[in-house]
Amino acid sequence: MYQAEIRKPLVTGGKSYADVTNDICRPIENKPSSSWWLGFSVALVLLLVLIGTLGWTTWEGIGTWGVNKTVMWGWDITNFVFWIGIGHAGTLISAILLLFRQKWRMSINRSAEAMTIFAVLCAAVFPLFHMGRVWLGYWPLPLPNAFGSLWVNFNSPLLWDVFAISTYFSVSLVFWYLGLIPDIATVRDRAKSKGRKFWYGFFAMGWNGSARTWARYEVVALILAGISTPLVLSVHTIVSFDFATSVIPGWHTTIFPPYFVAGAIFSGFGMVLTLLLVARHVMGYQDYITSEHLEAMCKVILLTGSIVGLAYITEFVIAAYSGYEYEQYAFMNRMFGPYAWAYWTMMTCNLIAPQVFWSKWARTTPWFIFIISIIVNIGMWFERFVIIVTSLHRDFLPSSWVMYKPTWVEAGIFAGTLGLFFTLFFLFAKFLPVINMSEVKTIIKDKE
Amino acid sequence: MIDKKVQIGDKKFTLGVFNDEGKLLNAVRSLRKKEVNIFDCYTPFPVHHLDKEMGIKRTNLTVIAFICGALGTTTGFSLAYYMNVLDWPMIIGGKPMDVTVFTSFIPIMFELTVLFTAFGMVIAFFTRSSMIHGFKQDILDLRQTDDLMLLAIEVNEDQPISDDEIKSIINNEGALEIRERGQALEVTY
Repeated sequence: MYQAEIRKPLVTGGKSYADVTNDICRPIENKPSSSWWLGFSVALVLLLVLIGTLGWTTWEGIGTWGVNKTVMWGWDITNFVFWIGIGHAGTLISAILLLFRQKWRMSINRSAEAMTIFAVLCAAVFPLFHMGRVWLGYWPLPLPNAFGSLWVNFNSPLLWDVFAISTYFSVSLVFWYLGLIPDIATVRDRAKSKGRKFWYGFFAMGWNGSARTWARYEVVALILAGISTPLVLSVHTIVSFDFATSVIPGWHTTIFPPYFVAGAIFSGFGMVLTLLLVARHVMGYQDYITSEHLEAMCKVILLTGSIVGLAYITEFVIAAYSGYEYEQYAFMNRMFGPYAWAYWTMMTCNLIAPQVFWSKWARTTPWFIFIISIIVNIGMWFERFVIIVTSLHRDFLPSSWVMYKPTWVEAGIFAGTLGLFFTLFFLFAKFLPVINMSEVKTIIKDKE
Repeated sequence: MIDKKVQIGDKKFTLGVFNDEGKLLNAVRSLRKKEVNIFDCYTPFPVHHLDKEMGIKRTNLTVIAFICGALGTTTGFSLAYYMNVLDWPMIIGGKPMDVTVFTSFIPIMFELTVLFTAFGMVIAFFTRSSMIHGFKQDILDLRQTDDLMLLAIEVNEDQPISDDEIKSIINNEGALEIRERGQALEVTY
């Protein structure tokens, strides 16, 4: 196929097929570095914090949290939406960019999908424990009800969420595992010890790279990408329905689904960049995750950040135009009320900060991108906090107006989910190839 | 569903070893011109057009995907309709609970469609490719998942040209080496 000279190579360093295998299998086959151990230990300590705070919540009850009758959703649902949003970038990269034939996705899709799965796991912690009695966490499932004749309510967006998130998790896991099989087989065929041969052999499911299997495999991957694309859009749409179908001023808006989906992709790319910039540096994968990749991701951040910014302004204009005083008050309260600091943090981080990516220098300078990616993560966390807490704390009835402050238990659970996320990510980086070898081998002679 | 004919087993092969997918494709093309029956190719990554050149028919896994998806949609609807309309209608705010609330079943019908399609198709893929645990797996060379591409031609009387002619074609197309193998390299776990 003809490729214009202006295109830059997708993988630099003139790698051969064997180089790709050697480079990407190196961290799996060698002993972990001291930086790996350091990161892993910190993550593990935070994971212990999660176990401790969740244990305390279960033992003592939701009273250990700062939520109250008025602000019944606080940090818990903020964190839930935050984590679910983070997951969306993985599916965008692996599914939507596959349909758009964006070949640059190939060296980042594996780690982005891993991130999706770990983020959804972190998200699941919050609604499960917010139920109060976590051992009854199976009640939202449509099981034959032993406690009476009542079934789950199919009109409720909360039930849609149960289905959407469990489907999203399982389909992402299957998609990820399917992509991993050829690479696990590569690791299996290089393994020296019996244990490695057994375990990688077990998970490779006897893959031998037959042309017949590859032909089927590509069809399966394409269909999975095809169904994952509407799936990922539906998941955050349904998460936004949790708010949009209510009557709370500030939540009851039709712009929520597209606004949430754009926000999810925006925050997800923020996290992908945070992780990949570190991984690329520590593992020395600059030839695979080139500055072209970083630039492409920054452009996605710029686009989705601008969509989110536009949504903030649209929401405000529509509230002003609605002639509905409660809605108008909700937005004035966001901007100038007691939580104004959170609103302006959100505006600065999400609307203003990503605009620096109009400059090519900003899009190609790793340390600078890293800082912006952290700002985006913070901004998107605040977006959920603003939507949830400022809308709830002052609603129709001024006598029930309160302030919400999180307790150390809630802070501990949030820090703990970061621990869970990074523990899983460190284990992934140690035991599985973080770059999709079989896909990268198809593009080493290619240009973007 | 599992086709024994495509399993390596203890068949005898002439193997062409390549390190370039272009050369492999050319070799397959030349052999197919002589109507040689190619057993299979083993590559570390998907080589485009290889399946077409080898004469492999397009998989019908998409049909299975569609059937599973349709099953998922029906399951989603039946679940919601049975539980919320037939068995125990939940009357909230005096609103009717009959088939007119169909629209609020759509999200779950959609999610189950995706779930059933994904799982049904992946299970069908594993079955069709005999990637099921307990099957002895056949690998002809340890580097076929790393950087080498293998072209396997079964040695039998049905081939239109002699084994030596096949070997010379493979050689002319730039194979690294040509091997003969009576038995698969067994990898047991």
